[in-house]
Amino acid sequence: MPAMRIVIAEDAAVLRELLAQMLTERGNEVCAAVADADALRSAVAEHRPDVTVVDIRMPPTHSDEGLRAAIDIRREHPGTGVLLFSQYIETRFATRLLAAGSAGVGYLLKDRVANTAEFTEALARVAAGGTALDPEVVTQLAGGGRRTAEIESLTAREHEVLALMAEGRSNAAIAQTLVVSAGTVEKHVAAVFSKLGLPSSEDTNRRVIAVLRYLGA
Amino acid sequence: MGKALGWPGALHAALTAPFTRRAGAQAAYCLLGFPVAQVGFALVLTLLAVGVGLIASLVGAVLGLALAVLALGLSRALAALQRALAARLLGERVTAPAQPRPSGGFFARLDARLRDEVGWRAAAYQMVKLPVAVCQLYAVAWWLIGAFDLITPLRWAVVHQLVGTADGASMRTISPFPGGAGAPHASSFAGTFLTAGIGALTLLAAPWFTRGVVAADRWLLHALLGPGELAQRVRNLEETRALAVDDSAALLRRLERDLHDGAQVRLVALAMRLDMAREGLGPAGGPVTDPDKVRNLIETAHRNAGEVLSELRDLSRGIHPPVLDEGLPDALATLAARSSVPVELSVDLPQEESHRPTPAIETIAYFCAAELLANVIKHSGAGHAVLRAEQRDERLRLRVTDDGCGGAALGTGTGLSGLAQRVRTVDGSIRINSPAGGPTAVEIELPLHA
Repeated sequence: MPAMRIVIAEDAAVLRELLAQMLTERGNEVCAAVADADALRSAVAEHRPDVTVVDIRMPPTHSDEGLRAAIDIRREHPGTGVLLFSQYIETRFATRLLAAGSAGVGYLLKDRVANTAEFTEALARVAAGGTALDPEVVTQLAGGGRRTAEIESLTAREHEVLALMAEGRSNAAIAQTLVVSAGTVEKHVAAVFSKLGLPSSEDTNRRVIAVLRYLGA
Repeated sequence: MGKALGWPGALHAALTAPFTRRAGAQAAYCLLGFPVAQVGFALVLTLLAVGVGLIASLVGAVLGLALAVLALGLSRALAALQRALAARLLGERVTAPAQPRPSGGFFARLDARLRDEVGWRAAAYQMVKLPVAVCQLYAVAWWLIGAFDLITPLRWAVVHQLVGTADGASMRTISPFPGGAGAPHASSFAGTFLTAGIGALTLLAAPWFTRGVVAADRWLLHALLGPGELAQRVRNLEETRALAVDDSAALLRRLERDLHDGAQVRLVALAMRLDMAREGLGPAGGPVTDPDKVRNLIETAHRNAGEVLSELRDLSRGIHPPVLDEGLPDALATLAARSSVPVELSVDLPQEESHRPTPAIETIAYFCAAELLANVIKHSGAGHAVLRAEQRDERLRLRVTDDGCGGAALGTGTGLSGLAQRVRTVDGSIRINSPAGGPTAVEIELPLHA
C-alpha cells in the first residue's frame, strides 16, 4: 500500500489522536489533525492531502458540518479523497455525498475504525479515487428506493457481489470475502452487467454505473 | 412610593401623596372611566332590557336575541377599552380572554354567542361599574373641593379687594361630604383659615379615597374582565405542559449527546487499541513482535474501559439515582454526604408507604435539592448549608439555606429558572429569598401527587 498524506477532522480528541497515531504507525503522513470543519477546509487548502478522514458531526452545531465541508472539498480539490465517518448512518447524508458521483468518496460507520487494517485499506481506496461505502449504507440505499425489474432479476449470489461492489471492493477482495475463486466472481460480475443491460465498454465505468443504479442514485 | 421608613417617612408619604405621579394617574383613570361607564351602563342595559322584552313578547324573539348578542359584543368591546385604560393608567394588567370564533350554522353561532360567559361577565361589569364610577368621580371631586377650600383666604382677599367689605358677608366652605354637613361659614378673614385647614385635610385625604375606590375597581376588573378561573387554569396547564414536553425532549437530546461524545467515542477508541494490540502480537503461533507496544496499548485500553464504566454510571445516575428507590430521606442523606460544603440535614418525612409522595414527585424533589446544593457550592461561597425536608398538609416542602453571598434570582444563570419550570409542571411553587450579601433561602413546595 503506498504511503498516503492525510488530514484528519474529528472533534473528539481521544479518537483524533489515536487515529493519527495508528495511521502514522502504518507509514502514512498525517499532515494535520483538526477539530472542526473550518480548520479542515484551511488544512486541506494548505496541505493538498491525498485523502481526508472527516467526522460528520462537529462543532459548532453538531449536525452535518463535516458533510458540507466534504462536498466542498470534493468540488474544490478533486485530487483529495474524502472518507466520512459517523456513529450513525444517515441515508440522506449518503445520498447528498453520492450526488456528485462515487469517485474518491467514502462513508463508514465509526465502529469500522476498530478494524484498523480494513479501515486503512478503505482509506487507501478512497485516496486512489475509489469508493468505500459501509455495508449499512449499501443496505439502506439499495433497500430504500423502488427496485427496478433488472435488479429484481439478479440471483441472490449476484446481489451479494453487487452489494460488495457498491461498498467499493475489487473483484479480488470480493472473492476473498465470499471465499470463492476470482474466476467465479468475474463470472457473477459479467452476469450482473448483462442483466443490467451494460454491454462491454470501459470496465470501471460499467462498474460505477451498475453500483449507482443499484443504490438508486 | 418607597418602603415605610418609620413615622417620618410615613408622614412624608402622607404629605406628598396628592402630588405623586401615581395619584395623578389614578385620578385620570377615574375621570376617563366615568363617561365610559355611563355609556356602557346605558347602552348595555337598554339593549338587554329591550332584547328581553322582545323575547318575552315572543313576536320579535329573533330580534330580541340579536339585541342581546349585540349587548354582549358591545360589553366585550367596552371591556377591552377598560382593560386598556387600567393597563395604561393603573399599571394593572388583566389578561384578555380569548375571542370566541363560533362556527356552524346560524343558530349554532347564535347559541354560542348567547352562551358567551366572558361576554356576560363583561356585561355584568358594565352594570356594577356605574356605581363604582360615581364613587370614583366623587373621589376626584375631593381634590377640587380640597383645593377650592384651601385657597379660601386668597379668595377672601381677592373678593374683598374687588367688592369691598360688606358687613355680615361670609365665605362658604364646601363640605367634602354630601349634604354640606358641618360646613362652617367663614365670616372673618381669620375664619377663612379654618376653611383652608378643612381644605388641606380634604386634599390630603383625596388620594387615599381615590386609591380605595380604584382598589375596588381593580378587584372587579380581575373578577369580571379577566379570562375566568377555568380559562386561566387551562392556559396555565397548556403552558406547563409545553414546558414539560420541552424539558423531556431537551433531556433526551442531552442524553444522546452525552452518549455520542462520551461513552461511544471511548468505546471506539478502546476497540481500536485492542485491534492495534492484536496487530502488535504478530501472526498467530509466532513470537510477539513488539511486546512493549502491546503492553502499553492494553494498559491504555484497560484504563479506557474504566473511564467508560464510570461515565456510564454517572449518566445512569443522572437519569434515575438508584438510591431514590430507598426513599427520599436516604437519597437526600446521600446528597448531603457527597456535598463539598458541609450540609446540615433535617428530614421529617413519613415512613409509611401510603403517605409517600409519588415517585415522580420524589424524583423532582431530589433533583431540586441536588441543583440547589450544587448552586450553593458553585455560586454562594457559603461555608455551611442547611437542607430541610418536611411533609405537612399534603405538601412536600424542601428548603435549602446557606450563609453565602446571596444575590440568587431567576434568570441569573444559576439554573433556578429551569428548576422553577420543572416545579411548575406539577403545580409546585418556588420562593427565593436571596438579598445581595446573603444569606440565601430557597423554598420549594410540591404536591404529593403530580
